[in-house]
Amino acid sequence: MFNIQKSSFLNKIVVMILAVIFLLPIFYAISTSFKTMGEVYTYPITVLPRIFSIEGYMYVFQNLNFLRIIYNTLYVSTFATVITVMITTMGGYAIAKGLFKYRKAIGNLMIMTTFIPIGITLVGVFIIVKDMNLLNNLWGLILPMVFSPTGTFIAIQYMHSIPDEIIESAKIDGANEWQIFSKIIFPLSYPLLATLTIFSFTWRWGDFILPLVTISQGNLYTVQLGLSYVEGNFLLSWNTIMAYALLSLALPLILFFLFQKLFMSGITAGSVKG
Amino acid sequence: MRVNNDTLLNNNLSYQNKKKRFNIISSRFIFLIPSLVFLIAFTIIPIIMIGVISFFSWALINPMKFIGIENFINMFKDANFWTTLIVTFKFELLTVPLTFVISLILALLLYKQDRFSLVMRGFFYWPYTAPAVVSGTLMAWLFSTNTGLINYFLIKIGLSPVSWLQGSFTALLTLSFAQVWGLAGFMMVIFIVGLHEIPQELNESASLDGATKLQIFRYITLPLLRGSSTIVLVLTISYSWNNFTLMYIMTTGGPGYATTITSLYVYQLAFTQFRIGYAAAVSVITVVISIVIALVSMKVLKWEA
Repeated sequence: MFNIQKSSFLNKIVVMILAVIFLLPIFYAISTSFKTMGEVYTYPITVLPRIFSIEGYMYVFQNLNFLRIIYNTLYVSTFATVITVMITTMGGYAIAKGLFKYRKAIGNLMIMTTFIPIGITLVGVFIIVKDMNLLNNLWGLILPMVFSPTGTFIAIQYMHSIPDEIIESAKIDGANEWQIFSKIIFPLSYPLLATLTIFSFTWRWGDFILPLVTISQGNLYTVQLGLSYVEGNFLLSWNTIMAYALLSLALPLILFFLFQKLFMSGITAGSVKG
Repeated sequence: MRVNNDTLLNNNLSYQNKKKRFNIISSRFIFLIPSLVFLIAFTIIPIIMIGVISFFSWALINPMKFIGIENFINMFKDANFWTTLIVTFKFELLTVPLTFVISLILALLLYKQDRFSLVMRGFFYWPYTAPAVVSGTLMAWLFSTNTGLINYFLIKIGLSPVSWLQGSFTALLTLSFAQVWGLAGFMMVIFIVGLHEIPQELNESASLDGATKLQIFRYITLPLLRGSSTIVLVLTISYSWNNFTLMYIMTTGGPGYATTITSLYVYQLAFTQFRIGYAAAVSVITVVISIVIALVSMKVLKWEA
């Protein structure tokens, strides 16, 4: 707690042990995904594959409609993210810099819905999606998820950090409300936009509960729904299941390594002081 | 006279404020409308619908039949409902403190800005980007009784294998491990941000005054981490609150109802048994509890917009 520069040797050992524990699930998944079907079920198990095989991966691409499923998931995640970033940035701005009554109360109501996840309102959301004729439709997965309480919370905190004076002086210079937002606030919000984009994309990529109840046609499956189906299918071998799981994890992982700094910048926490 | 003048001025101002009518554009309310539309359409209206449907008997295909509070009476007599409620709270009680402690330990180990810490943070963070279906699948395989790596190690060191996902308590424990594994790295970052905000001079002067490391942690670090702690608690509570994905994948709520949280029960009632009205009644109770938890969090933790 005294010098910020160097970790002690003991620290490093403890960290390494913890890191090994944290890596066990993915290590075993990778190892299993490269085994042959026969080796997966040998007892006692093999830690590393004796015979290196990609039959699990081959099966995923040849028999499980995987590319179509990835396309569906990309479609949902991309459109949902675009809408989320737009409405959340505007919403955060309105709550933080708005001049109307009850804006704090409305803001609190919005972030309060963090505690009302889709699992709780599922029956109601299902009926609305059904009434909108969006069952078995990818937009039925997008529209109910685009409002994000956590995203709104981040946006409100970020907008609070922009000084009022900037807005006031723009107003004095004769800018109208739309110009203030698009020419001043929006360019100042690039860090927020980037954070919302990667978070929203990762969240939507991982959505499961809504597709589970609204999608029944195989060609509209998203990757998480596909994985749950594969995982529960007793006819499939675990090298295939692990290959499927790792492939569906690949995109979030690539995003994470590309934008590691952004993910871990702490923008989610930075503006919240005791 | 001066006082009078001021009062006059104030009255005049408030009079003008009242007269100035609400303008949707200049008040910037217009920017809130898209968020509000989605919030109302897909959160508020569903809650209202659940409330209405809870007074009906309905199986989706046949017409709805009004039955008053019968669903609620049945619910209070339904032992499974109470079990799921208890399981939901057990899961919170296991995951929230565990995530808090482990992420705080990780933050204390890795808050330094050297190369080692920066690289290692990634190793703990990436599970947060893994979707729950994926982490559930990986964990189910890791902890499987005959083919899992964990039991392989247990046998290697001379212990007997454990049927992790088949026992009531071990199943809940394994699920909690999966949840903590997914969240700890993310929460660690929030704590690290908090640690960096603590002025170094505070620690230094305290240690000059003869405070031990433990004292510094207890009386300086921990109190100054209040802001981060709030965020970590709120996010952990809400992440573990009624997201049934892990249970659906790893245990399907079993053995028996031992890992069925209330939202999974609602899912089963509505979408495998088609008792929509009854499922709605259970949802109503869950929504009420959620709102209470949210309000308490906001009050106690001072978590607000």
